[in-house]
Amino acid sequence: MSQNSPSRWAMIGRETGRAVTAVVIALLVALVVILLTSADPGAAFQTLLTAPLSSNRTMGLWIDDVAKLTLTGLAFSLVFQARQFSMGVQGQVYMGGLFAALIAMSPIGATPLAIPVAMVAAMLAGAVYGFIPGYAKARFGASEIVSSLMLNYIAILIVNYLIRAHLAPQGTGQLATAKFPDTAIYPAILPGTRFDLGILVALVATFVVWFLLYRTNWGLKLRLVGHNPKFAEYSGIRSSFIMVSAMTVAGAFGGLLGSVFVQGRAFGNLAQNFDGNLAFEGILIAIVARSRPLAVPFVALAYGYLRQGAQLMGIRTDVPTEMISVVQAIIILLVASSFSLPGKKFFANLLGRKTTPAATPEAAK
Amino acid sequence: MAPLLEAISIGKTYPGGTVANDGVNLSIEAGEVHAVVGENGAGKSTLMKILFGIEQPDRGELRLDGKPVSFANPREAIDNGIGMVFQHFSLVPSFSVYENVVLGSEPRTGIKFDRQKAIEEVRALSEKFRLAVDPLPPVGQLPVGQQQRVEILKALYRNARILILDEPTAVLAPQEVEELFVAVRALVAQGRTVIFIAHKLPEVLAISDRITVMRAGKTVGSVNAKEVTEQSLATMMVGREIALRVDRAKGRGDLACEVKALKLTAESGAPIAEDLNLKVHQGEILGLVGVEGNGQAELLEAIAGLRAIADGVVYLNGEKLNPLSTLERRELGLASIPEDRIARGLATGATIAENLVATRLADKRYVRNGLLDLKAIKAQALKLIERYSIRAGGPGYPVGTLSGGNMQKVVVARELSEQPKLLLVNQPTRGVDLGATQFIWKSLTEARDGGAAVLLSSADLSELLALSDRLVVFYRGKIVAAFVNSDDLTAETLGTYMLGLSRQDPETMRAALQ
Repeated sequence: MSQNSPSRWAMIGRETGRAVTAVVIALLVALVVILLTSADPGAAFQTLLTAPLSSNRTMGLWIDDVAKLTLTGLAFSLVFQARQFSMGVQGQVYMGGLFAALIAMSPIGATPLAIPVAMVAAMLAGAVYGFIPGYAKARFGASEIVSSLMLNYIAILIVNYLIRAHLAPQGTGQLATAKFPDTAIYPAILPGTRFDLGILVALVATFVVWFLLYRTNWGLKLRLVGHNPKFAEYSGIRSSFIMVSAMTVAGAFGGLLGSVFVQGRAFGNLAQNFDGNLAFEGILIAIVARSRPLAVPFVALAYGYLRQGAQLMGIRTDVPTEMISVVQAIIILLVASSFSLPGKKFFANLLGRKTTPAATPEAAK
Repeated sequence: MAPLLEAISIGKTYPGGTVANDGVNLSIEAGEVHAVVGENGAGKSTLMKILFGIEQPDRGELRLDGKPVSFANPREAIDNGIGMVFQHFSLVPSFSVYENVVLGSEPRTGIKFDRQKAIEEVRALSEKFRLAVDPLPPVGQLPVGQQQRVEILKALYRNARILILDEPTAVLAPQEVEELFVAVRALVAQGRTVIFIAHKLPEVLAISDRITVMRAGKTVGSVNAKEVTEQSLATMMVGREIALRVDRAKGRGDLACEVKALKLTAESGAPIAEDLNLKVHQGEILGLVGVEGNGQAELLEAIAGLRAIADGVVYLNGEKLNPLSTLERRELGLASIPEDRIARGLATGATIAENLVATRLADKRYVRNGLLDLKAIKAQALKLIERYSIRAGGPGYPVGTLSGGNMQKVVVARELSEQPKLLLVNQPTRGVDLGATQFIWKSLTEARDGGAAVLLSSADLSELLALSDRLVVFYRGKIVAAFVNSDDLTAETLGTYMLGLSRQDPETMRAALQ
């Protein structure tokens, strides 16, 4: 391929360079926040940087996050490549989680079929939930951003209601279902940790999404629609079908993430507000990975590490939990903005690369 | 005396290794119209971007009034009296002319924008340089030629001594070009200097005093306009003899496409075109003449299936096209080279191979069981790159990395790689260099000789006259005249019909429409 396409390695190198720069800046900002709020900033910062590797259990936490971030990142990558801005992964996660839980709590839940059947049910539920905003856009011109966001609330509230009113064990007052039977919970790869089937599901999903996008007719059409919808129309590609199907397929992966959540070892039951807004972080993953499915797991690996480090810092040190959220938000802000804003020259200047001082708009002001 | 502006052995290599300028020398005297000509990809635009501070040279030196200067950004170039008018305007359509002109350096009283003063200044400026533009209407309502003058006023308002015009005539009708030239002469008469980038050699010879020719990132030489001919300039640009003559069709075949009583409306319901009746035969090129916006482009879109037909019928080889989808029409042998290759004809972010296969995704050779045959797609792309001599790194490169001429060749390659039965062509060589133009013309005539019925629309009358076997003139959505092409037919004759100044009698028109 090398003489026929621009050097892939050079591109990967460049993109990685950008990501690393963003992460370094994010860490510097985090350091400032820690210095301002912690009595022992050294220890706190060290926790942020190293805690995820401190034990098998924390490694499990990290990898569990990576699996989930990968799946949501993939779902967003799919719709982004078709240049649709469906924000519906969270709703799909809840619908997927609900149906996975219903299967797990049904008689099937006690059989070896529990995991595959629940996964399929979750994917179908997610697909249906992804299809709705797509259809509304194709048929009525409804903005997919608005409709998918509203559908998220509907899904979360329906699931929360069902848990409280029907699915939680009667009389306990708890806001979660009882544990699923063991047959319905993902087996652990490292016993005693959250390192479970979820990561394999995520890696298989990565391959499947890559294959769909780059090896199938549908994927090429999807990408052409994303590059230039007018060109697609002119070429005879039915853009509205591609648009709706892209959102539907992405919905299936969102639904699958629902299954990974509720059937994973982290939960093993269906609880209220179980996703902790992780679903939305897929937007960040997809942006940094430039919607390339094969880059998604790597971005998830790096971002999941920072995310887990920040959470462990919140638990183990005196950095107030509010500040943890601030640091996380800053990380998201910096990483995302370095990829979506034309700040290349700014970073080049920061890194001391040779550019005339007035060459950047920032410096000219 | 030192030249007003000098560029000395400028070198510029883009990241990715494209050598855009390699030892370029340019010397501009005060008060002259200096044309820079060259094929697409010759490095003209890069050189202009360097002069205007958008790009910085890797090597070489700029001198203004004999003193070395460097512009880190356009602001500095403007402060030094250099103005540039781009091919794509940067105007705010909803703002009025005077607001656009003063935007960013508004006259003020205190902190208040002094509108009256702005209007007066703009009016005075436009009178001084004979750029008749009314300061008050919103820019979006003006024709393209007027918008271009607004851009020129913007530069003059900022005291540009040197004005760079980047392919100013590409978007203009013949009469508007004449008006632009009047303005350019007025500018020079008042001591300003104009750098004029162009493709069309007759225009270059008509307006410029001196001409610098670029080829493949280097300057070939500078000549006085009086001492060269179109042919010798073309040879300098391309580096070999070229012929811009086309063989006409030898004879036409059976009726291929018929348009009957076609009516097109805008989404608002306003009529765009009415009562269009046309017949195109196999092996002939029918030229659609008209100032842009008179319905030619919309007719082509409607036939291609990209625009709803309000009333009337289109037949291709006896089959009614109206109910068919774009894809079904393509399967009947329809091919189309759209007006705007970037907006419609290509997905610039996708690779060359993907663009070339995009219209054949129902074809068993490239797609089986929903899976892409990447080998076949790549082989086909390599074949077309070779056959259409597309200058590109390879089939895996994004189309957006190519020059305009090579992008257009990708479109032409895709549409003509299989002999079409009906070929719709709109602005096939807009913004395309001479070498590529010659190549595209040849491809079109080959498709015609292969039996295609061709509908050709172009803003370039010489192109229409060179290629068409018959021509019809559009004015306000109606066909007002029809001609069988001959050497006696001139652009001026067509022009009077294009502008609605005269109307053909129905008998003559019917005879030529058959």
